[in-house]
Amino acid sequence: MEQAQTGTKRVLCIEDERFINELYERALNKAGYDVKIVTDGKEGLQELYTDNYDIVLLDIMLPEMLGTEILKKVRHDKPNLRARIIVATNLEFSEEHRAAVESQADGYIIKAEMTPKQMVSFLQQLD
Amino acid sequence: MDDFQRLQRQSFVLFSLSHFLSAGIGVAVWYFTKKEINSELGALGLALLVAVLTQLIITSILNSIIMKPLGTLWQVILYVSSNSKSLSAPELKRTQFGRELISSLANRIYQFAGTVSSSNSNEAEHRKSLLQSINIVKLFPHPLFVFNKEQIITSTSQIALDYVGIESNQLLGHKLFEVLDLNFTSSDTLENWVNDCQANKVTDYKYWYRVQLKPLGERPVKQCDISAYYNRDSPSGTEFIVTIIDRTNEYSQADDSLGFIALAVHELRTPLTMLYGYIEVFEEELSGKLDDELTGYLRKLRMSADQLSTFVTNVLNVTKIDNNQLSLRLFEIDYSNLIKQSTASLVLRAQMLGKRITFNIEDGLPTVAADPTSIGEVINNILDNAIKYSEESNEIVISAKLNPEGMVETTIQDFGVGIPANIIPNIFDRFYRNHRTRGQFSGTGLGLYLAKVIITAHGGNIWVKSKPGEGSIFSFTLQLYSNLADELKSSDNKEIIRQAHGWIKNHSMYRR
Repeated sequence: MEQAQTGTKRVLCIEDERFINELYERALNKAGYDVKIVTDGKEGLQELYTDNYDIVLLDIMLPEMLGTEILKKVRHDKPNLRARIIVATNLEFSEEHRAAVESQADGYIIKAEMTPKQMVSFLQQLD
Repeated sequence: MDDFQRLQRQSFVLFSLSHFLSAGIGVAVWYFTKKEINSELGALGLALLVAVLTQLIITSILNSIIMKPLGTLWQVILYVSSNSKSLSAPELKRTQFGRELISSLANRIYQFAGTVSSSNSNEAEHRKSLLQSINIVKLFPHPLFVFNKEQIITSTSQIALDYVGIESNQLLGHKLFEVLDLNFTSSDTLENWVNDCQANKVTDYKYWYRVQLKPLGERPVKQCDISAYYNRDSPSGTEFIVTIIDRTNEYSQADDSLGFIALAVHELRTPLTMLYGYIEVFEEELSGKLDDELTGYLRKLRMSADQLSTFVTNVLNVTKIDNNQLSLRLFEIDYSNLIKQSTASLVLRAQMLGKRITFNIEDGLPTVAADPTSIGEVINNILDNAIKYSEESNEIVISAKLNPEGMVETTIQDFGVGIPANIIPNIFDRFYRNHRTRGQFSGTGLGLYLAKVIITAHGGNIWVKSKPGEGSIFSFTLQLYSNLADELKSSDNKEIIRQAHGWIKNHSMYRR
């Protein structure tokens, strides 16, 4: 497994499915990332405001606040956010809606179409 | 006998008569001069000279008679194709020779050019028909736009202005495509049709379904059908007429079903994500520690997850096609890589079933223009069938080569049950399954339908050759990247790198 090259990168995982979190945390830890997990939308947004992360994995169907709302709000409130936001969802958008989400994120993955390891190597390509 | 043959016969008769006439004059000259001139040879020479001169004069007269219809036709074409109406239409009644043919040809030209009548249309008539057509535009109960050969909107109605949420001064005098934000489901767009018409057609009409129209401002997106009519150099100034038929209610009702499918797909994908995740953990942690039987079980677990995943993707894609939501993003693709990557899991599955997949990919294939995800799905769907229907035979061959038409041609061949000839015409239809083998093999009848839609959308072809008992050969073609390179560069595709099922945006371009 390839290690992150410069320092330890911090990943914020905003995702409400516990099993997915367990799997992502394991794969990310193995690749040398620090992982913080948040399971509801509002808490996720607060954590995002700290700007303490290199990468954010953002689910869409979240309790309390939808991922799309979080995205909109954080882009508005923190235009210079350091973290790269990757939308990680299993939700299928209409083209129009998807384009709107894409324009605000730094990346977009369908969770069911990659294994945790593949997801990690996708994140490694961000640099 | 048609008009052309009649004209041909008439000119033959005229020419023959002229020959007899000059020959007769020659004989007469010879007869009357041989006594005057005492030399027989001199008389003959004089007779020949007179005959040739006569023939020359007659030919020149005949020539002008026979060429006249062509001249009239030329005038007709000049008349309909000239911008200024200063030219007057030729009077067909004056044509004597070949009138039937010329009249029918001229009428056909007028018909193509949309001119109502040939000789009696004048400036006032034109103005009247122009006014009439403008009135029709104003009163027409659907949004309607008229534009001229410069593609500039010359006339429209209040309904149209309301529909697109725009003021008339923002519309009139502008190009339609600069004002209207239209989103077509394929490259078969109104704009392409307009350009094609101007380059190649005299009259044409076309209908588009499920076009998205984004009105100006904050108004919601509309869904509509569009019909358009083209008439080259129409005298009433209506070169192009475009009508919008609003279908927002009908189509958004259908889109709600996509909403339901999207929800179902979401619910199916969540456990799939977990399944793949835990299988991966097992594969990683247990590799080398399990006996063959358990290793086999683990592989079968992954195969089952793949099967479910393929089904979910197929259902989603078919729903998207139904709603015209399936969009492809074409990139420059190293095809041999794509084949290897997208078949990896099916190669494993084939192995599990004791079958061997052989690759026969031509060296140095040029890159293709493809949406890698969708083409991967096509290959998988065909290969899945090949595995399913290969029965006792164990060999499956995937080949790719540059074909004589300059396209990359892929064939997937199995040596299994084959397809009866009467089934082949329907094989790419949706939900079509051979009723005889339906009980024998599982499946949904979506795979080949999707393959056809995706390949066609790529600008390629897909076909099958098969003999019952000998197996099937499925083939499809893809366009070379070099053929589409210019088009791809002008679109915004280059901003997005899409890899398998995700993309990373070019960051510097995004942050402002």
